Amino acid sequence: MASKVVLIRGKGVLKEGGDIDQKKLLNMYNRGIQILMDKQNPKDGLRLIFQRSDKVGIKINTIGGRKLSSRPEVSFSLAGLLQESGIQQKNIIIWDRTNRELREAGYGLNLNRSGIKVYGTDTKGVGYDSQLTSHLNIGSLFSSIQSSKITASISLAILKDHGMAGVTAGMKNYFGAIHNPNKYHDFNCNPFVAELFETKLIKRKHKLTILDSLIVQYHRGPSYHARWAEKYEALIFSLDPVAVDHVGWQVIEKLRAKKGLASLKEEKRAPVYLKTAEKMGLGKANPEEIQIIEEEV
Amino acid sequence: MKRRQFFKTAGGTTLLASTGMMNRTSAFPALLMDFYALGGEANLSKVEARYYKKHPDREIECTLCPRLCKLGDKERGYCGVRENIGGKYYTLVYGKACSIAADPIEKKPLFHYLPKSSALSIATAGCNVNCKFCQNWEISQVRPEQVQNYDLLPRAVVETAQKYRCPIIAYTYTEPVIFFEYMYDTSVEARKKGVRNVVITGGHISPEPMEDLTKVVDAIKVDLKAFSQDFYTKYVRGELQPVLEAIKIVHKSSAWLELVYLVIPTLNDSSDEIRKMCQWIMKEIGPDVPLHFSRFVPMYLMKNLPPTPVSTLEKVHKIALDEGIHHVYIGNVPGHSAESTYCPNCKNNVIERKGYSIGKIALKGGRCKYCNNPIPGIWI
Repeated sequence: MASKVVLIRGKGVLKEGGDIDQKKLLNMYNRGIQILMDKQNPKDGLRLIFQRSDKVGIKINTIGGRKLSSRPEVSFSLAGLLQESGIQQKNIIIWDRTNRELREAGYGLNLNRSGIKVYGTDTKGVGYDSQLTSHLNIGSLFSSIQSSKITASISLAILKDHGMAGVTAGMKNYFGAIHNPNKYHDFNCNPFVAELFETKLIKRKHKLTILDSLIVQYHRGPSYHARWAEKYEALIFSLDPVAVDHVGWQVIEKLRAKKGLASLKEEKRAPVYLKTAEKMGLGKANPEEIQIIEEEV
Repeated sequence: MKRRQFFKTAGGTTLLASTGMMNRTSAFPALLMDFYALGGEANLSKVEARYYKKHPDREIECTLCPRLCKLGDKERGYCGVRENIGGKYYTLVYGKACSIAADPIEKKPLFHYLPKSSALSIATAGCNVNCKFCQNWEISQVRPEQVQNYDLLPRAVVETAQKYRCPIIAYTYTEPVIFFEYMYDTSVEARKKGVRNVVITGGHISPEPMEDLTKVVDAIKVDLKAFSQDFYTKYVRGELQPVLEAIKIVHKSSAWLELVYLVIPTLNDSSDEIRKMCQWIMKEIGPDVPLHFSRFVPMYLMKNLPPTPVSTLEKVHKIALDEGIHHVYIGNVPGHSAESTYCPNCKNNVIERKGYSIGKIALKGGRCKYCNNPIPGIWI
């Protein structure tokens, strides 16, 4: 059976001046979940993915600063949908590596017992596990958010070109859940992205990938360069972590071709970790086995 | 950790500070909790790094080590302690020691360099390889914000060495190459005050910085982790050839050189590999460079192998002697006769060692007291 990937375009979701059209953004989310889960009501769709009792982590990527991170509007809209589906507000954590990066991306930190929590692993009392997680070529300490504060995880990742990995998207976003991501960038991050994802702390908890593709950095990533950043205005959804990243890769390749840039393959930095992930049974990286549903809202 | 905890004594070693994500010594039960309680802004430096090239679009290429990391803005190198910030490359650990202790020089090990001396030993977080058997992974395989760092600029390091009567500063525990600027500047300061400098390194460094380093330090011990690229690829995540080149550079310099080879059962202990390495040593750097075969103990990501049998260590020790190397040692086996130094001419024991304890020293003016044969090393 093919893996479904839903690509929702929302022309105008990024308004002149950079603000977000909240209504359009919400429509994009609703339509994405509806199509992905085959449910008229997105709340029902989310209920098929999450238990009411789940503690849901929304792992965002804020390394790119304010211009190339998931904006608070994007994360909180998703958190709002989760709430509507029955997840308690206090059981939703929007998180990343550091509080500094979260603040620089425009987030206000919240560690209160009530309310949607927003904080980094470096928060006092949070930190990394004391025991190593060892799996194949991976030997890392996990953020205690990923290991013990959540029961289900959403990778809400920015879609970006990456100088070493080729593409950074939903799977590689979990590099921000460990203490030593710098050790896993050799060989185009292969097999490390796939092997990290296969650790039980990620594989068992990961439920949904959403690629924040409102702005896509298609060249010279992962840092922001206005010259190669496309206002793409899309969200890409899938339950298959490999298929959605594969589709993200193709988006980047199309943008690169449109701008006359060499393909990632030609630059010897195609995201080969996707094939590895497929071989490990984590999802589909064969286009013939991926059903892409594209819609404009 | 509070300042008042700065000075502690553990196991006969004056330990000034030692922080990590986990603690190996029971003398520091509270440190792990302290780490978790850190929070807030990390105590990092922002000192421009040496040995890098600037590229268009705020990209840089680090040339300090053979990895040659190419990094975009806001990215860190493999070492985790050097970051591209807006197209300029910075070391985040300059003057940020995470581990400080006074050790016997024999612990490094440096056996032919000022025996019985005490070395003020410092490290920062980070490493440019990822050995699966690392004994200090809690500080080497982490980012500097994940350990507690002490502000200790070069001059303060030298003053601390003098205060505790350490004639030597050792750059050690993690991989000093990654805190090159800190090590280099401290070495320059130390020399001004008559304090000597020794480096304990894996030798995974580019030729230019290694040549520069040899001009300001007095001794370098290189961990040659195996004699096959396959081992370096699988278990070190590094390259063998640059390490061999670095060894040759040190040998040609005025710095004293010793080699350590950690013998890991079934992975790098074949007679053939050991013999080839010894033949390379004889050809490239000669018989007088001391060679230490150390015993492996299960650690970090390599807990599935047993400690090295003493018989294996004795086997490789014999191979090295048979190949003509004059000073071959067995390490991490306290009390073994191969801890001592023997005159290659008359075979008498000229420096007795048991663990880190030194017994009689039968040297006079750097020569064997029994037969007057010169014993290579730095003795005064």
